Amino acid sequence: MSAPEAELSADFAASSSSPAPVRALPRLPIAKALMALLIAGLCIVPFGLIFAISLGHKVEGAAWVWGFEGANYQRFFVGAMWPDEVSSMYLQKLGYSLYYAVIASVLAVLTAFPFTWFLTRLSRAAQARWLIFLLSTLSLSEVFVVMGWDILLSNKSGLPMVLRELGITDWAKGNGLFDWARSQGLASPRDFKFKTSVFATVLTMAYLVWPYAVILLYPPLSRIDQSMIEAARTMGATPARVMRTVILPTVRLPLIGAVLLLFVLLLGIYVAVSVFADPAQQTLAISIYDEVRGATLNAPFGAAQSVILLVTAGAFLLMGQLILNRRTT
Amino acid sequence: MPELVVKSVTMEYGTVRAVDAVSLSFAHGELTALLGPSGCGKTTLLRMIAGLEAPSRGQILLDGADITALPAHKRKFGMVFQSFALFPHLSVAENVAYALMIDGVPKADRAARAARLLDMVQLAGYGDRRIGALSGGQKQRVAIARALAQEPSVFLLDEPMSALDAKLREEMQVELRLLQQRLGITTIVVTHDQREAMTMADRVVVMSKGRAEQVGPPQDIYQRPANAFVADFIGRTNFWDARVYGGRLMMGDLSLFMTPSANFIDGAPVRAACRPEKASLTAPEGAANTVPAKVTFVRTIGPTRDVHLSTPLGPIVVESPVTADSYAVGQVVSLHMPPDAIQVFPAEVAA
Repeated sequence: MSAPEAELSADFAASSSSPAPVRALPRLPIAKALMALLIAGLCIVPFGLIFAISLGHKVEGAAWVWGFEGANYQRFFVGAMWPDEVSSMYLQKLGYSLYYAVIASVLAVLTAFPFTWFLTRLSRAAQARWLIFLLSTLSLSEVFVVMGWDILLSNKSGLPMVLRELGITDWAKGNGLFDWARSQGLASPRDFKFKTSVFATVLTMAYLVWPYAVILLYPPLSRIDQSMIEAARTMGATPARVMRTVILPTVRLPLIGAVLLLFVLLLGIYVAVSVFADPAQQTLAISIYDEVRGATLNAPFGAAQSVILLVTAGAFLLMGQLILNRRTT
Repeated sequence: MPELVVKSVTMEYGTVRAVDAVSLSFAHGELTALLGPSGCGKTTLLRMIAGLEAPSRGQILLDGADITALPAHKRKFGMVFQSFALFPHLSVAENVAYALMIDGVPKADRAARAARLLDMVQLAGYGDRRIGALSGGQKQRVAIARALAQEPSVFLLDEPMSALDAKLREEMQVELRLLQQRLGITTIVVTHDQREAMTMADRVVVMSKGRAEQVGPPQDIYQRPANAFVADFIGRTNFWDARVYGGRLMMGDLSLFMTPSANFIDGAPVRAACRPEKASLTAPEGAANTVPAKVTFVRTIGPTRDVHLSTPLGPIVVESPVTADSYAVGQVVSLHMPPDAIQVFPAEVAA
């Protein structure tokens, strides 16, 4: 290190060693106790209750009673008839929860990324208009959005009708595309059919969280130093290369973070799955509702599924955190 | 033969003309400073040369070839940005080797060249560090090494010292100049700091309101400013308004001689100027060009002293070496401005 740099470092060291005049927060034990109480009341107590209920058991013809047994967890992983018979039905439901949530969250972030990137290239006034519009779409409830997509994808008046009237259905029948769609469950013998399908489920789920994806990606993308992009261009990088070697790596962490956050949010989606997913391909969220309020009414088993869903979400978040930590060090 | 030529280049943003028909040529191996106040169009001109912006009119030629429409990634002029624009997700060596990676240079060669470049900017051994772990001066050196990695024909620097503290800035100016001389690369530096331009440049282009006001070696510009704006912007200058009669400056009852005499028609309003270091408070007995004055403020700065005066010409500052003579506020003195120290500019182009 040269003398001036050494001096500079010494200056930095000196400035960092002297404590900045930070205004200490007033010591308010009552406020702290209230905050602790609030966190306990809103998070820990409900989770503790659900966990406690999950250890109880249903009484036939009655409600349920407290207990301390793992039968509900055993039923989840190997089925109620174990060891005579093994059933992975609930694991499959968990699998569908993860499957839909992963695809929809990745789809939402992948489509929101280019939109947000171009949004940050617009004038400030145009950006504000778009952001207000996107924020206003968040006021639409899940039920309302699902109803909209239900009409858009309905067989008689929605997208299948449009494809038929435009002649695309006949064209697809002529080149084998229709047969492929049938093999994927996206067509009946005569027409395209999107209800019920994984496609419709995932599309609606991705649509539901799309504004969140834009809002999550907007701050990191708008903060990208424009001169970094220009520097890469002066060094011979084409716009596509700049995107691949500068922009995407720079926002890699917010991208992964957005996918994780939306994934966790999508694990609990109910209405979209109940409308668009095939009954055999429904998620744990539907099953939990059935146990708690629906046909089967088995609160302890519903609570056990809830705990498993929560632990799964936590495990994915932890895994994401580990990946992010490994990449930043 | 000039390597880079800018021909009547104009840049308009709506009704605003940021660069107004600037024509310049940059000789091979020369360091040129584009100097001017904020908003004078110097950075816009540099960005057009880099290919980051397309001129509204005019041409940019490199060795006779028209490169006006050539995008930045095909010109590949090395550029150092004001914010350094280093890539935070890459290590120091990866930053330096970025252009080589884009060029498809094999990894081992890239690493070797990055190490050589880091050695050249006195950062040997820093290759594995993260950008966030560097000081301002180190970041600037990395930015310079990165811009030079592709061996560009033209090296562009946009306010490269503005993010550094004063002491480091002066050292880096000398260092950068020595490096540029060693490499013999055509270099254009944008700066608003006239001291920086004087230190580094073979040639200075003084810009104002999108126009090149004067082009020349730093000392020529300092000694013989083309107009009042240049005289005011480069160094310090005392200004006052006057009229010319018989080749002399007239201000009421006062009359000042000039050498050479002012070449204006009688009665023409002019803006007269005299550098503080050329005026003095120790006039020879019976000398011409002596003006009565009163001391209003005295400031001693190291080896020199500024004496601020109230005179019939208006406020005047005299810079002189610190001697045993002392001046007190309110003291009446005689201000002497030698005839060859006075410069006259047309009043209508006064800054």
